[in-house]
Amino acid sequence: MLLQISLNALALGAAYGLLALGFVMILNATSAVNFAHGDMVMVGAYLAIALHGVFNIPGALLLPLVMALMALLGFVFSWFAYFPLKDRPPVSVFISTIAIGIVFQNSINAVQGAEPRKGPALLGEGQLALGSLTISEQSLSIIGVALLLIVAQYYLLNRTGIGRKLRATAQDRPMAEALGIRVNRMIALTFAIGSALAGAAGLMLSNTFFTSPTDGSNYILKAYIAVTIGGWGSLPGALCGALIIALFEVVYPSLPVLIPALKEIAPLLFTQTTSTIVLYIGLLCIMFFRPQGLFGEKVQKRV
Amino acid sequence: MGIHTNFSRNYAYVLVAALAAPAAALAQTEITLPVLVPVTGFLSLEGTSQRNGALLAIKNAPPGIKINSSVTDTGASPEGATTALERALSRGKPVAIAASMLGTQMLAMMPIALENKIPLTTVSGTADITEKQNPYVFRFFPGDAVAKAAHVRYVTEELKKKRVALVYQTTAYGQGGRAQIIEQLKKLGLTPVMEEALDVSVKDMSAVIGKVQASNPDVVMIHLHGGPSALFLKQAAAAKLNLPVVAGSGMSQPSTAALLEPAELKGVCAETNAAPLAGGSADMSNFLAQYRAEFKTEPDGFAVGQYDATSMVINAALNGAKTPEDMRKALATTSYKGLAMTYKADAKGNMANSAVIICYDDKSRTPKIAKRYD
Repeated sequence: MLLQISLNALALGAAYGLLALGFVMILNATSAVNFAHGDMVMVGAYLAIALHGVFNIPGALLLPLVMALMALLGFVFSWFAYFPLKDRPPVSVFISTIAIGIVFQNSINAVQGAEPRKGPALLGEGQLALGSLTISEQSLSIIGVALLLIVAQYYLLNRTGIGRKLRATAQDRPMAEALGIRVNRMIALTFAIGSALAGAAGLMLSNTFFTSPTDGSNYILKAYIAVTIGGWGSLPGALCGALIIALFEVVYPSLPVLIPALKEIAPLLFTQTTSTIVLYIGLLCIMFFRPQGLFGEKVQKRV
Repeated sequence: MGIHTNFSRNYAYVLVAALAAPAAALAQTEITLPVLVPVTGFLSLEGTSQRNGALLAIKNAPPGIKINSSVTDTGASPEGATTALERALSRGKPVAIAASMLGTQMLAMMPIALENKIPLTTVSGTADITEKQNPYVFRFFPGDAVAKAAHVRYVTEELKKKRVALVYQTTAYGQGGRAQIIEQLKKLGLTPVMEEALDVSVKDMSAVIGKVQASNPDVVMIHLHGGPSALFLKQAAAAKLNLPVVAGSGMSQPSTAALLEPAELKGVCAETNAAPLAGGSADMSNFLAQYRAEFKTEPDGFAVGQYDATSMVINAALNGAKTPEDMRKALATTSYKGLAMTYKADAKGNMANSAVIICYDDKSRTPKIAKRYD
């Protein structure tokens, strides 16, 4: 039971991790919160569903196409939501991303309807039996593919020239510009990568958890909390934050099943509702006592 | 929010104008009947069904009546609903309003309706809306008291189960239903062996399914919205729960069943007002065919309920109810034979006094009516 629950939490955390990574990359590059990022996850899910209807191939084969199209969308998005407003106060970008997110929601609602839809499985939807343990093929696939994408992103950012330019742009834009880096191009590329990761998360989540046009607001909240817990701007922190959220959603309310004594001691302390309350109290504690987050820098403003 | 509302209203104007055109040509009686429903937000699926039911009833209005109607999206917030209602009241003289099925929105709209003496017809299942002594509220869907009585009776009388695990939503819909289920079980001397509330954003259900298994029930009662119902059943099948599940009205929606494989629907039943996919009468079959042709989707019980509500309003107008007060009296005192049932108001405005239990097998996603409770 513990292994099964841990696996579910890991699969959920891995998908949330991709979502949070894309969110924090854009945050670092632009110093602005992209409130449409959750809606990008939803658009990625619907894109996967549409492409699956055309090609009828497993999600794993659709993934590169979904990511490529989402990267293109992210690129276009940056030219509408960010660049025209980049020299205005940050709130302008917040509002423009919210507006475009609502456009996405309503467009999908008008075209596809409000019904929840089910996306394609990455490889299969069966259950693998290992003795008394049954493991979802989709959960295993999500963990594997998410890990692959996280490693690929790490490699891109830390082992390639373009990655160094992306990081330089995120860390100190004026200095990067002074060194000849075309920062606008790097920012657009960041939007593309972030959106591609959101699309990948959308494809993965839509099979197990379905999707509907209003899902974006739920996902953006997860990304925001993951980044706040992990550390505003920290990529490892975002991953860690995403995993913590998944642990609270899956493992925490399961504790009375794993440790039956807890059910007798405090039956109301380990419900799905209290797990949310405890998570948010924890979030407040982090904000009070470690405002830089678990992995964030102590210095809040660079000179 | 503004974008939601304008978008929905604009296309709704076009749709209503197109649908109402044949009836308008022969108009003698003229009424205004705004449709204020959640077309966006977390209840957009159910709200869209409600809208479609109202629009189809307007299209099918008999000759001799002209209906001025527009659809306004209330979103998912109480403010969205009250703003829509105030705007509708300021724009004309409605004879009645087809009002949101979202309980929290209804509760916000009701004082305004009372103040302006305007009847609201709805398919909201939330118990509270007919417990406020508001004479302008008319519910065309079995309220929790009726639906949950059927729910519990089916579990205890037909399935003969006693050890109930209860999983419900944290929304007004879920909590209202839970209260009624507990009350009905209590009358039979039963208490759930396990209870858990879920927020609509909960995606992974393994924790609650683990708790259900650990409590060793012989039946699971769920009172969740459509999407979460499907999530629960899908993950319960994967976890080999192998228990009968009797669900709330969220499960009766065709779009919920469409998310699941027939094998995952084995042993699943749900309470509702009507099962249009199961047919049952020539009128219902005609409604089904027309609904599919018009909206390219499957109807659910909410669509049938709002179709009947709107048809009753139109019928009352044709019989002389031309003012809101006439309409309130007509709705409160007359009976009407609709597609789902014969509607007759009780002292609180509950029009629907019947509920059906539908069940799925493991071969298709089309349910069959297992039991009707009048």
